Amino acid sequence: MTAAFFKLTVSDIREEIGGDATSVILTVPEEAYDQFQWQAGQHLPLRFMIDGQEHRRCYTISNPPGENLRITVKRTKGGVVSNYVADRLAVGDIVESQRPHGRFVLEPGPLKRRTHYFFGAGSGITPLYAMINAVLTDEPYSVAYLIYGNKSHKSIIFHEELDALAAEYPERFTVRHILSSPSMWTWFSPWRSGRVDAEAIEAAIDETPPVAQNVQYWICGPGEMNKATRAALLAMDVPDNRIHLESFGGAGAIDTTVKGIAATASITLDRQEHTVQVAADQTVLEAALAAGLRPDYSCQSGVCGSCKARLKKGKVHMRAQMALDDEEIARGEILTCQSVAESDALTIEYP
Amino acid sequence: MTRMYHRLPVEAYTSKDWFDEEQRLIFSRTWRFAGLAEDVPEPGHYISVQAGLNNIFIVMGRDRRLRAFHNICRHRGTQLIRAVGKTQKALTCPYHDWTYDLEGNLISVPDEAREFPNGVDKKCFGLKPASVDIWRGMLFVHPDPDPPSLAEWFGAVDPYLGPHKPEELVEYPDSASSYEIRANWKIVVENYIDVYHLSHLHSNTLYMYDHAKAEYGWEGPHYHFWEPPAPDYAEDLENNLPFPRVIPKPHSGAWVPMLFPGIGIGASEESWNLFIITPLAPDLTRIQNRSKLANVSGWEFQKQQWSSWGFWKGFGGPKYEGDDTIDENDPMASGDFTAEDVYACEQQQKSLYSPYLEIGPSAVGESPITNHQQAILDFMKAQEAS
Repeated sequence: MTAAFFKLTVSDIREEIGGDATSVILTVPEEAYDQFQWQAGQHLPLRFMIDGQEHRRCYTISNPPGENLRITVKRTKGGVVSNYVADRLAVGDIVESQRPHGRFVLEPGPLKRRTHYFFGAGSGITPLYAMINAVLTDEPYSVAYLIYGNKSHKSIIFHEELDALAAEYPERFTVRHILSSPSMWTWFSPWRSGRVDAEAIEAAIDETPPVAQNVQYWICGPGEMNKATRAALLAMDVPDNRIHLESFGGAGAIDTTVKGIAATASITLDRQEHTVQVAADQTVLEAALAAGLRPDYSCQSGVCGSCKARLKKGKVHMRAQMALDDEEIARGEILTCQSVAESDALTIEYP
Repeated sequence: MTRMYHRLPVEAYTSKDWFDEEQRLIFSRTWRFAGLAEDVPEPGHYISVQAGLNNIFIVMGRDRRLRAFHNICRHRGTQLIRAVGKTQKALTCPYHDWTYDLEGNLISVPDEAREFPNGVDKKCFGLKPASVDIWRGMLFVHPDPDPPSLAEWFGAVDPYLGPHKPEELVEYPDSASSYEIRANWKIVVENYIDVYHLSHLHSNTLYMYDHAKAEYGWEGPHYHFWEPPAPDYAEDLENNLPFPRVIPKPHSGAWVPMLFPGIGIGASEESWNLFIITPLAPDLTRIQNRSKLANVSGWEFQKQQWSSWGFWKGFGGPKYEGDDTIDENDPMASGDFTAEDVYACEQQQKSLYSPYLEIGPSAVGESPITNHQQAILDFMKAQEAS
């Protein structure tokens, strides 16, 4: 099923970190309230019309459930949508969005008792910020420790908000800043200089060891940082099922070594079967869109999972597959935005 | 006819059958006190604890998270580790050297090819996981790998346990003791929560607190109790405290809860004490005491001792004196409230076997006793049903 788009109204816009990021508050039409109940860590699959061209992006909701529906978008160099949001989007504008999506989620519970470690870098703070707030307000017996990497103190998103949380919950929340190129000309002194690496992770856990022994580890940053953080945790014998991560603001592991081949695909969408030609350099999603089909998709980088489908016959190569777990891959699920054909006949079913 | 002791039959305090049922339905199915968080201070350290029918060990991983497992080798059931110790990466059973990593995975079987020609599927013989968590600086274990959280278990009673932060206090090592009382564990609990006896058995030992103003009640099976300092003591409280404060002013009084089952805490302005009750037999109970005091210099302790000397120099005394005492070891002449309690418990236990025993009316201040008996009945019934 193709998920519906709803028209959301921009009700407030705020510059973050001197204009390098923008927070946008969106108002949901009353008839869509139910669909827009989100969980901390989820994102909005958005559709923008910019200069007559459609662009799709996923942006994380940077507030916990119950607060304003807010996204926070970091400017990327040459990025069409992020610069549009920063420079041209205005209060009163309409933005189209499907309902919140994503399974990098923290479900708080009033009687859950956990120690949460959050490892973030750059704009990867956005889902973590929502999760931290959810823990502090809705999981009163749990604690949260944030280890947050940035370039300099000027690029720390939600700096003041995080400080305010640390002041409000001194016994349940700590934040540690790590700066890779700290400025000499500031009073702000970070916890450490450098990166969120194995040494920093070990030091943070040593300084604030788990209180509650149900420990969860949440990682969100660029792909490389995620990989390194997960590897560091695994090296300390953290069980993999306690580690949750989402790739953000940079490529994860992308494998472009395999070239696709031209193929004929039978694609079932909304119970209709279509025959689609997939060119060697096309992804299954690109071929489907070019053939006039309208399957769900959003981030087009293998992160959000919107474009998931099931491969019933044939073989594909996925350049990235962060949104799938091993079980789903074993069941034959694929991310169509990342799949190129490896056999000349494919049978694919969208859910 | 079954003879009753309030809500329980007398045999609940004397019979092996009742003891076995309590072991099975109460002590093997609840969070059990296992020690203080500092007992497992570093990765690789471990301790084991008997929790009802289960022996459970706690080990800290390199990620500083505690893991708990049933202390049973998956080969022939031998207890894997001894009471306390340290290991680098692995736990080896002494019997045939089967070895497990700190996640409980079986990683090595000696002479595997020769002794097990069909192989051993190591994946199927990991240690059975249990649960561990920390609450107010105390370690608790539960035999179930997925039990109700400690927040579910202690959350409702927590606000009544006082403003103490035991994890910030330091243990006073000389205070740690373990001794046995020749009485059923419930007799010991009932003595602990009997408000009526405080002004009588302890008339000369605990009168720095005002028993008449005690506030007490229940949250589920957990009992909570608080009483303010008595007027004489409160008049110059800051100087009268025998040790430096462990809680911020103006909090004052004594918090003496009894968490279920048999986890007693006695906390006041200047100390935090544990009184852990473990049944050993129908008529034998072990008590473990541990105490924590303020984490301040010896000089602060010295100053407080001087300032409080005036109050304590004439304080306390024996309940019985002169001809009323048996000899110099008479607990009733000791002036020590613990000795008084132990004596009362053991004397009561002896009478439970008499055919002439008939229990009299229950006082208002003894309502915690009947409540505790009911809590036991309710808990066992619920466990039997589940």
